Amino acid sequence: MERLIIVVVFLPLISALLIQLFAGRIGRSVARISVVFTTLSFILSSVLLALALMGSEIQTFPLGSSVAALLFDPLSILLATIILGISLIVHLYSVRYMAEEAAYGQFFVLLDLMTAALLFMVLAGDLITLVISWYLVGVILYFLLGQDTRSQTAYRFAFWTLITYRIGDLPLILAAALLYNAYETWSLKAIFDAIMANPDAHQVLGLPLTHVVAGLIGFAAFARSAQFLLHTWLPYTMDGPTPVSALMHAGIVNAGGFLINRFAPIFIHSGDVLNWIFIVGLITAIFGSLLMLTQNDIKKALGYSTMGQMGFMIMECGVGAFSLAIYHMFAHGVFKGTMFLSAGGVINHARQDDGIPKDELYTFAVEKRPNKASQPWLLMAAVTLAVPLVILVFAHLLIAQDYFHKQGAIVLLFFGWVTGAQLIFATYRMRAQNIWRLVGLSILSLLVVVLGYVFISHAFDLFLYPDPEFRAQLYSAATIDLLRFDVLVGIVTLTVVAGWVITYFGERSGYYRRQKSKRLWLNFYALISREFYISDIYTRLTRLILSISGRLNVWLRWL
Amino acid sequence: MPDLLIILLASIFLPLFPMSMIFNIILDKIKQCWLRALLIIFWPLIGLLIVLNSNLDIPDWVLPLALSTSFLYSLRMLTLREVNQWSGFLATSFWSLLWLPITQGVSADILYWFAVSISMPLVLLIVLSAGLEKRFGAAYTGLYGGLARTIPRYAGVLVIVVIAAIATPLFPTFFIMLDMVVETVSNKPVAALALLSIWLLWSWAGARLIQGLIVGRASKNNIADMNLNTLSFYSIVLIVLIGSGVYLGGVIL
Repeated sequence: MERLIIVVVFLPLISALLIQLFAGRIGRSVARISVVFTTLSFILSSVLLALALMGSEIQTFPLGSSVAALLFDPLSILLATIILGISLIVHLYSVRYMAEEAAYGQFFVLLDLMTAALLFMVLAGDLITLVISWYLVGVILYFLLGQDTRSQTAYRFAFWTLITYRIGDLPLILAAALLYNAYETWSLKAIFDAIMANPDAHQVLGLPLTHVVAGLIGFAAFARSAQFLLHTWLPYTMDGPTPVSALMHAGIVNAGGFLINRFAPIFIHSGDVLNWIFIVGLITAIFGSLLMLTQNDIKKALGYSTMGQMGFMIMECGVGAFSLAIYHMFAHGVFKGTMFLSAGGVINHARQDDGIPKDELYTFAVEKRPNKASQPWLLMAAVTLAVPLVILVFAHLLIAQDYFHKQGAIVLLFFGWVTGAQLIFATYRMRAQNIWRLVGLSILSLLVVVLGYVFISHAFDLFLYPDPEFRAQLYSAATIDLLRFDVLVGIVTLTVVAGWVITYFGERSGYYRRQKSKRLWLNFYALISREFYISDIYTRLTRLILSISGRLNVWLRWL
Repeated sequence: MPDLLIILLASIFLPLFPMSMIFNIILDKIKQCWLRALLIIFWPLIGLLIVLNSNLDIPDWVLPLALSTSFLYSLRMLTLREVNQWSGFLATSFWSLLWLPITQGVSADILYWFAVSISMPLVLLIVLSAGLEKRFGAAYTGLYGGLARTIPRYAGVLVIVVIAAIATPLFPTFFIMLDMVVETVSNKPVAALALLSIWLLWSWAGARLIQGLIVGRASKNNIADMNLNTLSFYSIVLIVLIGSGVYLGGVIL
């Protein structure tokens, strides 16, 4: 039965081929072929997921007599089902959304090829299939983003995506080559078994092979998941069709989290690399969120929002919460996909209601509503800080008593607490008639979200990594020494609390600032609004390389 | 014949800078499409014949020079706008890498297969370039653009051929590059890094070429697109190329 995984992968390929062959004859009906095949593939994949949930064994299925093989394990089948689910929604949405496009058939061919490439990527049982599918995702995305061949801008930013993805392909190729040279097999299962048996058997340039490979895999994941300094393509690739944006933000960009999870048996022997991954994820989450808040272009803001989320996902891997990253990937995929696909509806709504927030004078004078009553700040601060903490601790205690022994879990709990407190803090600033009702509803929703999150992520943990010893190894690999950990938590806590205090008092005093600090603030704002000049630096660098190329050609007389 | 002279002779056909310029001068002078295609097919084969039949002891400096030549031409490809010249530079960049498997003692059969596999997409590109010259007077990026709207079939084939030439999966060129990286990464890591950067530059140059040709508004003139028979021919050749790529991958990896 598990062998059906081969059918799941090939159905989108067959669909692409049929559309290419019959597009000229059946016109716009080609979309039906694509939808039917994707639906079939999704149903089959769901059946196989159910089998895996019932405890089906991990199996490898060779593709013919080649080295290529498909791997049936909880991670691969779960992600295949998620990809097919999102792809099916995007297909259904595109049937009408893309109806006016000249290259309607070609769009569905590319969409099916992308689905197939993503499926091969998550189901790859060997390094060659993984490298090929990883590479092809970038190439197909380039053409999907450049669907409108009249638009130079679309292609310009599609190129940014392509080149970043190619930069990310290279470390994966290097890692694959190193692993093959060391273990003389392309099979992922055989390599992981050998590493688990003897992790320090090989060295590269005087370093343990597992560390070097983990570093390279981490770098490949950074490029694919738009981590800081490799992120510039993400906020700018908004000229592609909306369904492509949805697929990209809901699925493709998450591939970094998948890759780190796939190589988990290597990462448990590379604790230092996991610490670096955590730092990169943390920086990305902070910068992504910061840049999101300062964008006046809603599409770029969405792009930076995804960047922040990807940072958080990579950070989860960095603290050893690998399965949580997969759940995050799934939850973010559904959330962001919904946002993109409902963008048209939002625009329509905005045409009827401008959505400009009313100020207090307007509310009082025109709408005849009294201003919000001021609440004692000490009480509100206590509620803000205590309630999320109580909810989080309670929820986690329900799941596992030893949860608080894991350093990574404490870090995530800390972020959960800050986010929960931020949520309640934000409600005070809303102009509600009954602030306590709003706070109550926020706490209730926080409780539901936290309980759901904790229970589902725990279920993901048990499903993806059923071996408790392996799970414990993942967390312990990511552990840092206690002093560094305490200092880090202390600094972040102080920064967050200082931020709240400044915002609170700033709002009370009407954001009055002295001239000197105002100038400093404006400079900081300018820096953020120019996105830290990172794109400008890359543009300069690109021009420099092109200029060198041109000069060389002139000197060598174009020969 | 002394080794140095043989290497000097071979470096014309398996390009090493500055001898690499000879091939590009000849390609520039030839105006007939079929002659260009023949030149691209046979040029590296002559080089391989010379090297493989000479019992040559290849000195250490050849490999760094070969990698530098390949890098130089891949860098220079970025600002080329003429399609024939672009094909010539890619050929030069790719053929010079053949010194790598030669020094590693790869069998003659595989080396000839490598050479033909590298040349095939370039031959297709040369033929397509001639078609553009016939239709527009020149095969030049950024000059007219909009091929995807003006002649969509032609543009589609052109894009796939460029993709095949710059070592994209599942074409043979991809497996050749992957094999070279696998063979060098452990004992010559610097060479592996050089290979990867050359590969990256090809992708960049390829994307620039594609964008300069296919993106833009449709031409107002009525330009004939590729007919269905020619499209079928190109499709079959490309499918064969993919098939041979997968087979080659199975053989060498």
